[in-house]
Amino acid sequence: MFRLLSCVYALGFQIAVNPDLEHRAAGWLLFAVLIMWSAACAVAYLQGFGRRPAWVIAEIVVVVALMLTTELIASDQWVLANQSWPTTLWATNATISAAILFGPIAGMLTGVVVMAAGAALKGYVHIDLSRNATIVIELAVGLAVGMAAQTARRAHAELEKAARLSASIEERERLSRQVHDGVIQVLALMARRGREIGGETAELAELAGEQERALRRLVSAGEAEPRDGATADIGALLRRRASDRVSVSVPAEPVLLEAAVADELFAAVCNALDNAETHAGPDARAYVLLEDLGDSVTVSVRDDGVGIPDGRLEEAVGQGRAGIAKSIVGRMDWLGGRAELSTGPGSGTEWELTVPRGSR
Amino acid sequence: MSEGATTVMVVDDHPIWRDAVARDLAGDGFDVVATADGVGSARRRAAVVQPAVVVMDMRLADGDGAQATAEVLAVSPSSRVLVLSASDERDDVLEAVKAGATGYLVKSASRQELAEAVHATAQGRAVFTPGLAGLVLGEYRRIARDAAGSAEPKGPTLTDRETEVLRYVAKGLTAKQIASRLSLSHRTVENHVQATFHKLQIGNRVELARYAIEHGLDE
Repeated sequence: MFRLLSCVYALGFQIAVNPDLEHRAAGWLLFAVLIMWSAACAVAYLQGFGRRPAWVIAEIVVVVALMLTTELIASDQWVLANQSWPTTLWATNATISAAILFGPIAGMLTGVVVMAAGAALKGYVHIDLSRNATIVIELAVGLAVGMAAQTARRAHAELEKAARLSASIEERERLSRQVHDGVIQVLALMARRGREIGGETAELAELAGEQERALRRLVSAGEAEPRDGATADIGALLRRRASDRVSVSVPAEPVLLEAAVADELFAAVCNALDNAETHAGPDARAYVLLEDLGDSVTVSVRDDGVGIPDGRLEEAVGQGRAGIAKSIVGRMDWLGGRAELSTGPGSGTEWELTVPRGSR
Repeated sequence: MSEGATTVMVVDDHPIWRDAVARDLAGDGFDVVATADGVGSARRRAAVVQPAVVVMDMRLADGDGAQATAEVLAVSPSSRVLVLSASDERDDVLEAVKAGATGYLVKSASRQELAEAVHATAQGRAVFTPGLAGLVLGEYRRIARDAAGSAEPKGPTLTDRETEVLRYVAKGLTAKQIASRLSLSHRTVENHVQATFHKLQIGNRVELARYAIEHGLDE
């Protein structure tokens, strides 16, 4: 658009000044070159093949060359009294192109080059900015257009990224629904039927059941990202430990804690669960309950295993073997929280871990 | 109606699963009077057959199980809804309880567990899992937090005993174990859990009614 207007301006200028030129025919010939180059540029930029460094550099060269031809077609006196021939306005096209493609710095540099060509023509440099603001305008155009182009490019990239992300989430949801409706249901059914039949089929059923749970976790993993910058959803973290032998009960809403606190609490819960797995016996199940009490958060980890006989824990501590218990208590101390253990022979073990919520 | 087998309707959008559940229940002596794959078909059939128990999946062809629970109970108020769902569908299970479901069982439960759960539901007893107890407990705590900061009338609250019972359930203790710890009868423990579900339903109805009045929908 600007290109077209600047051509019209250059045409007006051409008609107005042509009679004053020394070589009128040459003037019109060069003007034809200008129009052809403008048209070529318009096509090139619209089609996309002009949006490359080589083309823009070519444009700068052509503009400077055309400006220098003023020397050939006009007298020295005319040169001194007027702006250079293809008009400064038209020359600004090169500045704009460079600014759009390479950013504000290159835009301003091109502006300087264009003005340098003009100055070379006249043989001196206009220092008096109050009377000749062309250089300022040229620099300003280079800067402004360059920055605008950069911003637009960044916005466009962000938009594309967002579009890609939403497309991938949609795809995941679609997949999740399909997997849920088909594969998971069939696996669940196989697990159920297989367990009824028993024998070797029961083993197959276990496998089907495991795969069902794995798939379920996979398709639901996309929806709940437990971490969001400084905070983490301890509920989402705990749900990762859910399995056939571990029941995890959490509120429906996320329970947000400072990320470091959530990690440490989760690590303590994992210690307790691992402990239960190794000591509670092969058939024991573990139950995790998360409660958000507002100013504090409590996680209970209970197993229904053999429990720790009276005095056994003290004995272990005495022998320096209470590694896991110590590590759980240590983690909770570090968080300014509490770890309480209740156990007895035959009644399983239960850890109750409480962390206060900070002032935040 | 007390004559003969308990009538059951199975609602699930997956045909293989639906038919398998229906066949199992029929084999265990229940009278499967209808099956449905979505909210609309469940409502229409429930209106006609008035099943004693509705076994409800959470993901349906044209909506979710909570919506289907509400619509089925609207046309067949004497029905009791048992949610049979995958373990990870958390929030919508809570919604189903608010809509009036009295039981929840995971799909990995055995055939025997399912039969027992349908029996219990037909008798008006609550069927629950540790996971559901954790959700219900969390919901009451949320309601209490929200009420603390506002002048709005309070939502439902738990008694200390109910909180105690729900915590035990969420930690995986059976009703029998809880009964012996608290020196209560097995049935009283179940009643406590049931009361917590029921209050959520009432609270939900009050909430809906208030919403309707505030928005001029109470024609």
